[in-house]
Amino acid sequence: MASLSRRKFVGLLAAGTAAGTLSMPYVARAANPKVVVIGGGAGGATAARYIAKDAKGAIDVTLIEPSKRYYTCFFSNLYLGGFRDYESLGHSYEGLAANGGVNVVHDWASAVDADAKSVRLASGASLGYDKLVLSPGIDLKYDSVPGYSPEAQSRMPHAWKSGTQVQLLKNQVQNMKQGGTLVMVAPPDPFRCPPGPYERVSMIANLLKQSNPSAKIIVLDPKEKFSKQALFMEGWEREYTGMVEWIPASIYGSIVSVNPETLEIETDLDTFKPDVATVIPAQKAGAIAALAGVTDGDWVPIVPASMQSRANPDIYVVGDASVASAMPKSGFAANSQAKVAANHIRGELTGSRVFPASFANTCWSLISPENGVKVGAKYAAGEEAIEATDSFISQTGEGADLRKATYEESVGWYDSITSDMFS
Amino acid sequence: MRLKRGVAAVATLVATSAFAEGDVEYGEYLSSECVACHSVRGDDKGIPSIVGWDPEAFVAVMKSYQLKERLNPTMQVIAGSLDDEQTAALAAYFSTLSPQKN
Repeated sequence: MASLSRRKFVGLLAAGTAAGTLSMPYVARAANPKVVVIGGGAGGATAARYIAKDAKGAIDVTLIEPSKRYYTCFFSNLYLGGFRDYESLGHSYEGLAANGGVNVVHDWASAVDADAKSVRLASGASLGYDKLVLSPGIDLKYDSVPGYSPEAQSRMPHAWKSGTQVQLLKNQVQNMKQGGTLVMVAPPDPFRCPPGPYERVSMIANLLKQSNPSAKIIVLDPKEKFSKQALFMEGWEREYTGMVEWIPASIYGSIVSVNPETLEIETDLDTFKPDVATVIPAQKAGAIAALAGVTDGDWVPIVPASMQSRANPDIYVVGDASVASAMPKSGFAANSQAKVAANHIRGELTGSRVFPASFANTCWSLISPENGVKVGAKYAAGEEAIEATDSFISQTGEGADLRKATYEESVGWYDSITSDMFS
Repeated sequence: MRLKRGVAAVATLVATSAFAEGDVEYGEYLSSECVACHSVRGDDKGIPSIVGWDPEAFVAVMKSYQLKERLNPTMQVIAGSLDDEQTAALAAYFSTLSPQKN
């Protein structure tokens, strides 16, 4: 088998390197095809790991990611609610580099020259590629909420990219005055993690219920309905009675302005004066996608069967930045899309078998202690779009045992999927 | 669903002939969807291990999800999306793995 002889050869190569042999006997290695992956989150880390793992040394894989340690956005609400410590969300890239054979470069990709097929780094270096994978996640459209800005985010955290923003928001919630009010400005579609804002409300309510039970949470939502709405509303009514008020735009109209100094939020209906405000603005693909010339409007249209961008077949785009149609912008979806891209890229570069695209997603949310719910689906690649073929969702009125099992499932999932990305 | 090592070895031998058509390479590709939730090392915290099963048992469990005899809605949808070739491929691939001790 070719793969066996390859493995043996890599073994010899490693032995040679260990013995201090500087001249590499493997001439073909210099001609290895090159894949560059930009962004080491759920999509990028998975793509890099799978291409390197499955190609067994036949493709050089470089992952460009500025952070040395990655804090997952998924499960950051559980940190907010007091169910996980912050460090449990952190993952290093050492496993990918050591076990996975991925060349991890901690730098910022500042430009893509699609004609020359090279990526420029902030350090000034350039990297050539045969195939490029973009997994840049989201950028926030700060000005989608009048008065909001990058400067405002320390007073009114969005906390939508994990990291220190989530710690800041938790700190503000914990220090809120007794009986105070928190207002969340929810984002318009499409946005990262559709159930996320409402799980956040649940987790903040859980925190306040223990230390500040007369506090209130108000959600100003530009949408008239939201993910798992019946499940969240049932949970809020039962577990956090009288604490949570959800107000859609059909009632408040529009947000006229937010004031990061006074925390005032002026709407057509009323001016809210919260003690803590979290503002999650509209979103778009991470900036490098537009610089690479593959965006159409805010996002990147893709070919469903491969995750290639519509604009350039050598540039694949996975995760939140892509227009994945029926699939939500979630870490699970990004992981799933990255595997489709990895299989296709390896086929293109080495002639290995390319299997039909297959996608899946599940989003778990925690409403209160051991009260987990989920929604998910299977997807297939249609000609124009990724289409859902079947789906499921938790039901209202489920028993505590089932909800506990669903929560425990989510904890097992977190361990498996982060190991599938970073080990 | 855990099999003792000896039993698993025998079951694998028997199953190798019964499920000879299971395409391990296709199974490995399809398995990437399973291991997003099921630990590839065989951990079973919150989600059962599916590593090192004998192929017949694997196919039987997937069938029971397809028939909705087993109740987890996620697995009903996942199993329901697989045809016989894909189920056999997955069964063949997962039988080649064994649980890893931490």
